[in-house]
Amino acid sequence: MTQHSKKAAAFLKDAKYSQWHDATFWAVRSKRDTMAQGLPEWERLREKASAIKRHTLSHLDEYLEQFAAQAQKNGAVVHWAADADEFNAIVLDILQAAGVKKIVKSKSMLTEECGMNPYLEAKGIEVVETDLGERIIQLMGQRPSHIVMPAVHLSPDQVGELFEREGISDEIGNHDPTYLTYRARLSLRNEFLTAGAGMTGANFGIAATGDIVVCTNEGNADMSTSCPKLHIAALGLEKVIPDYDCLAVFQRMLCRAGTGQPTTSYTSHFRKARPGAQAMHIILVDNGRSQWIGNPDHWEILKCIRCGSCMNTCPVYRRSGGFSYSYFIPGPLGVNLGMLRDFEAHKGNLSACTLCMSCQSVCPVKIDLGEQIYKWRQMSGAIPPAKKALCKGMSMVYNHPLLYKTATRVLKPFHSLDLEKDE
Amino acid sequence: MSRKDEILGRIRAGIGTRYDMPSLDDIAPITYPDPLAAFIASSKVAGSEVVELENGDTVDSIIRKRFPSAGTIASNLPEVSIANLNPDTVESAAALDGTDVGVIRGELGVAENGCIWIPQAMKEKAVCFISENLVILLPREAIVNNMHEAYRRVDPGRYGYGTFISGPSKTADIAQTLVMGAQAARSVTVILI
Ligand code: SF4
Repeated sequence: MTQHSKKAAAFLKDAKYSQWHDATFWAVRSKRDTMAQGLPEWERLREKASAIKRHTLSHLDEYLEQFAAQAQKNGAVVHWAADADEFNAIVLDILQAAGVKKIVKSKSMLTEECGMNPYLEAKGIEVVETDLGERIIQLMGQRPSHIVMPAVHLSPDQVGELFEREGISDEIGNHDPTYLTYRARLSLRNEFLTAGAGMTGANFGIAATGDIVVCTNEGNADMSTSCPKLHIAALGLEKVIPDYDCLAVFQRMLCRAGTGQPTTSYTSHFRKARPGAQAMHIILVDNGRSQWIGNPDHWEILKCIRCGSCMNTCPVYRRSGGFSYSYFIPGPLGVNLGMLRDFEAHKGNLSACTLCMSCQSVCPVKIDLGEQIYKWRQMSGAIPPAKKALCKGMSMVYNHPLLYKTATRVLKPFHSLDLEKDE
Repeated sequence: MSRKDEILGRIRAGIGTRYDMPSLDDIAPITYPDPLAAFIASSKVAGSEVVELENGDTVDSIIRKRFPSAGTIASNLPEVSIANLNPDTVESAAALDGTDVGVIRGELGVAENGCIWIPQAMKEKAVCFISENLVILLPREAIVNNMHEAYRRVDPGRYGYGTFISGPSKTADIAQTLVMGAQAARSVTVILI
């Protein structure tokens, strides 16, 4: 059994919960369908979204330069981080130079990827997540089980008991979601007002204008940047898109595909720092991306806009939950990203796919997620000793296009889909 | 070599085929026979109340009627004479905490999703989020069909910040139960003027 199938088996032991999980995500998938069917142009939008991303990623050098130049013209300080360590160190430097002891932040898969929170906390900086779901799992000491609904694995009772332990709610035994949300609001309000800096991720960076665009339903990215005097925005290199015309395409799709809403409540465009605030800091993070661009079979995974719909629709994700995957991002997207990140560490996720291809038929930017998983399987398979040795250097191989091409040729004879013997 | 040059160098070395930018002129996005009616319907779906300014109403009277017990009303708009806190002159954003009603101006409404474009037009934009209840004044003729049309028209303006707001702050993070009023405004009232 693979690492994923063992964990999935454990997940399925709680039949009632696993059925709830399955039904919940199927409902989100159905809401997405209603949204898609409500727009006659939906499939054209997917075509355009995919083509814009292909264009942008294959001109990413130019768009990144344009984005950075525009942002600097707007008064922002632009940093370039080669990897997670560099990113974390840059954030720490900025905070220490400004004498900041506490930051509030909105949801960012990038800071999760870089392990920023534990790093800053070890250096004595308090980090407060302000997306409700993120705040809950932060207090629980967990990682997200879904990229858009990070605390979906917890019941109202679990959240209620957590809030009682943390002194956030004062009516013991009241686990009503409306009450709990209100108590979290009061507690977070205090954090917004006392933090020294606000940090956001970015859904998009706009090359033509230097804007950072952040989409939230809670308004927490706006609260995080409206009160503290310092705004730090972190974005992966692939988040940059050409201009507002392109943004319109993605803004229309992100939420419809992800949660089945016509839009998020807030779509915010940060071009300049607030009056009286310090300069905005923008950190562009590579951490593998510049190498993945050169991977002929897998570069298109960088088109992803992190909507979450590939996991919502995935029959395996729905029936195994986010924690069954070894990578911090689950579902078809996470399987693929995990393989790019570290082949050996995450190949146990490759079994988490029935090749039903549902993911790629809903993906708003038309990433060939299922086909990519199939290709990874071909590189993995039942591993004869000769190939095993090769696999050791696999992560390195995938990161070097030329080596990769050679490796695929060498490994061809060993292809197999039999993952059972793999673990 | 700087980090930037290293990263850009790796990208250049990795890029294979360079793909052209597609034309976006043939999307044929959705339009509505009555964009205002569609905007009102979308706003309601997003959780907003929509009020039309009728003869004899003033912005003040509508706010008073809707929020009879409001203590702190924050606005820098000339038509809101009942405002008792001004986001242009407060010492800091924190001074706006405790605002019962914040009143701001929207520039553009989008029929397909109820989004309203709010370019920052006050010193402390916190008023748009920190207020318990948000009131947005929107000219009824400023409605476009869809986001493509909207993004052709908007600009973050002199303060360099702008946001599309559609409905109150919301979350479904606890067991997928939808709750209005997460971290920002708990209600949104759109007054069509
Ligand atoms: S891979 Fe596609 S469907 Fe999955 S999160 Fe990314 S954009 Fe959404």
